[in-house]
Amino acid sequence: MSGPNGMLYGGDEIGALVFDPGHHSLRVGYAQEDTPKADIPAVIGVGPSTHIPDAEEKVPDGNITQSGNELRHYIDVTEIHVPRPGMEIQTYMKDGQVDNWDLFEKMLDYCYAKVIRSPSEHHPALFTEAVWTTRPAREKLAELLFEKYQAPAFFLVKNAVLAAFANGKSTALVVDAGASQTSAVPVIDGYAIVSAAVRSPLGGDHLAAQAKNMLNNMHIQMLPLYSIQSKEVIRERERARYTLKTLPAGLTQSWQQYMLKKQYEDFYHCVAQVSESSYDERTAASVPGVHYEFPGGYHQDFGPERFKLTECLFEQNLGAPHLVCSAAAACDADARPALWGAVVACGGLANLAGWLERVGRELAARAPSSHRLKTHAAPSPPERRFAAWLGGSILASIGSFQQMWISSQEYDEGGKGQLERKCP
Amino acid sequence: MADILDILDIEQPGTTEVTRDSILHGDKMKKKYVTAKAVRRPEGMHREVFALLYNDNKDLPPLLPTDTGKAYKQTKAKLGMRKARKWVWAPFTNPARKDNAVFYHWKRKSDETKEYPFAQFNKQVSIPSYSESEYNQYLKSEDWSQAETDHLMDLCQRFDLRFIVIHDRWDRAAFRDRSVEDLKERYYNICGILSKVKTNPWSNTVTMVNGEKRVYHYDAEHERKRKEQLRRLFDRTQEQIDEEQMLLAELKKIEARKRERERKTQDLQKLISRADSGNGLPTCQSAVQTEGISTPSAVSSSIARRHDRKLHKKKLASQQRPIRAVETVTVEWSGIKFPETRGAGVWLRSQRMKLPPGVGQRKTKAIEQELRLMNIDIAPTPSEAICKHFNELRSDLALALDLKNALTSCEFELQALRHQYEALNPGKTLTIPPSICNTSGDGDVKPLSEIIDVVGSPGALNNTI
Ligand SMILES: Nc1ncnc2c1ncn2[C@@H]1O[C@H](COP(=O)(O)OP(=O)(O)OP(=O)(O)O)[C@@H](O)[C@H]1O
Ligand SMILES: [Mg+2]
Repeated sequence: MSGPNGMLYGGDEIGALVFDPGHHSLRVGYAQEDTPKADIPAVIGVGPSTHIPDAEEKVPDGNITQSGNELRHYIDVTEIHVPRPGMEIQTYMKDGQVDNWDLFEKMLDYCYAKVIRSPSEHHPALFTEAVWTTRPAREKLAELLFEKYQAPAFFLVKNAVLAAFANGKSTALVVDAGASQTSAVPVIDGYAIVSAAVRSPLGGDHLAAQAKNMLNNMHIQMLPLYSIQSKEVIRERERARYTLKTLPAGLTQSWQQYMLKKQYEDFYHCVAQVSESSYDERTAASVPGVHYEFPGGYHQDFGPERFKLTECLFEQNLGAPHLVCSAAAACDADARPALWGAVVACGGLANLAGWLERVGRELAARAPSSHRLKTHAAPSPPERRFAAWLGGSILASIGSFQQMWISSQEYDEGGKGQLERKCP
Repeated sequence: MADILDILDIEQPGTTEVTRDSILHGDKMKKKYVTAKAVRRPEGMHREVFALLYNDNKDLPPLLPTDTGKAYKQTKAKLGMRKARKWVWAPFTNPARKDNAVFYHWKRKSDETKEYPFAQFNKQVSIPSYSESEYNQYLKSEDWSQAETDHLMDLCQRFDLRFIVIHDRWDRAAFRDRSVEDLKERYYNICGILSKVKTNPWSNTVTMVNGEKRVYHYDAEHERKRKEQLRRLFDRTQEQIDEEQMLLAELKKIEARKRERERKTQDLQKLISRADSGNGLPTCQSAVQTEGISTPSAVSSSIARRHDRKLHKKKLASQQRPIRAVETVTVEWSGIKFPETRGAGVWLRSQRMKLPPGVGQRKTKAIEQELRLMNIDIAPTPSEAICKHFNELRSDLALALDLKNALTSCEFELQALRHQYEALNPGKTLTIPPSICNTSGDGDVKPLSEIIDVVGSPGALNNTI
């Protein structure tokens, strides 16, 4: 904090936790660290508690929380990815914000018990939120943290602001390509300009759906990985030869779909690439293909399809470049030069090969010529995906931030009404 | 222990006590080898060959090169010299908070509890306040209700006068939408009125000049117009820009043609008049050139200037044998040449204040430092006059910096030569005539332009404009 020569350094850690809930995953960890402690899928398996096959699972385990009405909640990859009869996959997120609070509570229980392993009343909690989070949802979260978890302090920050901080900017035009949506939010002096924020539903989930479509049209079958017992080595494009596992009966539709979506995601992570400029069959064909093997053993090279697949993310009026332009245009003219000079890209989908280059190119073509355009993005993929969490980690460990928290005393006196004032 | 030492032919050290030094520099401990009886080198044998056969203790020469440096022996860490100072997870209160909430952080146990150091960063802007009666007396407006005014002042406080953010968070459900300029106008209006009727001025809108209050006046109309122009400039599409460029080019062509035509008519008239008057004197009409309409570039070219000068400074020509080569120092410098407008058509005046890319990082930093010393804003509002003077000032500063550097290097050379002279002629001293000495402490420093002929200096030009 303060050095031997009386210098005051910026950091002062008070044991705060940072939570960054998203549609794809929840990031949670200690402030001042450079990566979250855990990155938990934002879904919960809800199944009947009657089926407990293995002896060791009977040991009371935080992963599997028992609730009164005979339901069990399965959280995190190791629990969710097990085929269990009757286990439905549910998500607590909707439209960028927490929607199902009972489920979200289960998730928080798990975080405190299994990830942090420390009582919640010891740690101030900083949450990120999407720009358009509604007031009831914000207040509900504050209520939950103070009343159920007895947090000593709580704070809410817009994730775009944090992503800007993580990239060392307080004024930036943040374009966040997540799972459920892509958004562009101007941030000025650490405040998100809510009225100028725009979003479109073209995110990672959309791309996964497109990948599924494409494979269907190519008559390539995506067998569920969990159903494969063994497979034979075959030549390229040859018919797959495999044996199937005997699976427990009564696997739910939602679980199967969730598992398949994971596979489509893996497929586009490995194969998809964004072409430098608008898709062109010939230039795409000149790039060497990428080989992919499907769970059943079938494998082949993917050539121009890899580029064609991602074109859906750059639709005229919904793609990231368009969002950036309209967000900038909605801002006050005096702020625009600074915003164009600091376009910050973050979110998991920004890791897609070529995505950043394409956005940069399209912006250069569209940005008014009087502005100097500069795009920033963290160099490493995890940093890009965790940008909002990282910003929260930085913010919550700055000495001068410690006066901003809503303390439990303040909450007791002022109630949740002060949230709008304290966390703008 | 003793057996091993015996086997290894090592004499037992006198003391077996383990000291810190013996741990750190154990290898340096004198290992006394029993010196073998010196074998004499047989006559005629080469020394190298003998050395291979017999060295001091009859060891074989090492097969691998061994590292005998002390790199691994020297430890930087002072082991066990000082006790580790303890850190504790201690509670603290932050005076910047109004609720006395207690948080915990790590601190040195020895550090006495003093005020939370980060509380000093808790800065707030001061926003004027008014009472109900004050509002009714002075601040009533038909356009603004009190509730709306209160809302504005509240937002100003919360967002520290960031009007763009205030505009964004404006309660559009309760009040009608207003532009950033409307909000600013109302706010500065209130500040102005209140600072007149109330005694305590607000630092950010009122400045005292010669004991007289000066209130910041916000020119909303001008701002609206400026913003509108800015918006239009930014919202131009590429087609519009291309069209504008094309039109400008066309305009130039038309003008050229027009001049050509005029010249021809004049020639024709001259001919006619000459024919009319027989062999009369030719009229000087043709000398009057029609002036073209001034285009932006024509206007700005009068501002652009260049001053590239060279200073050849002859050093004391050394008559003695040159021990130290005295070269002629050639200093080359110029001020900053600001380029003409960037891009075609309309541009922002602030563009003109951008330092050209040729100015290096170091020079830019140095100029900024000088500006700061002079208490001048690094990016002032670019009005026509400010823009001009600011560029000239920075150009002069760059020149001054270059000259200063040249002077120091000359000074250095001079002193070096003096030392050289005194070393070669012991007992003599070289008195440097004060005219070529740097008179830094002197009262009557001549202006720069008098010492060195600064041709076409911006200052000189400035006087003529
Ligand atoms: N290396 C990668 N290449 C391509 N896509 C990736 C990569 N890594 C992650 N993604 C995609 O990014 C998405 C997750 O991004 P992110 O974690 O930012 O979303 P989120 O914040 O949880 O969701 P949202 O912002 O929609 O609430 C997923 O769709 C995932 O498939
Ligand atoms: Mg996200």
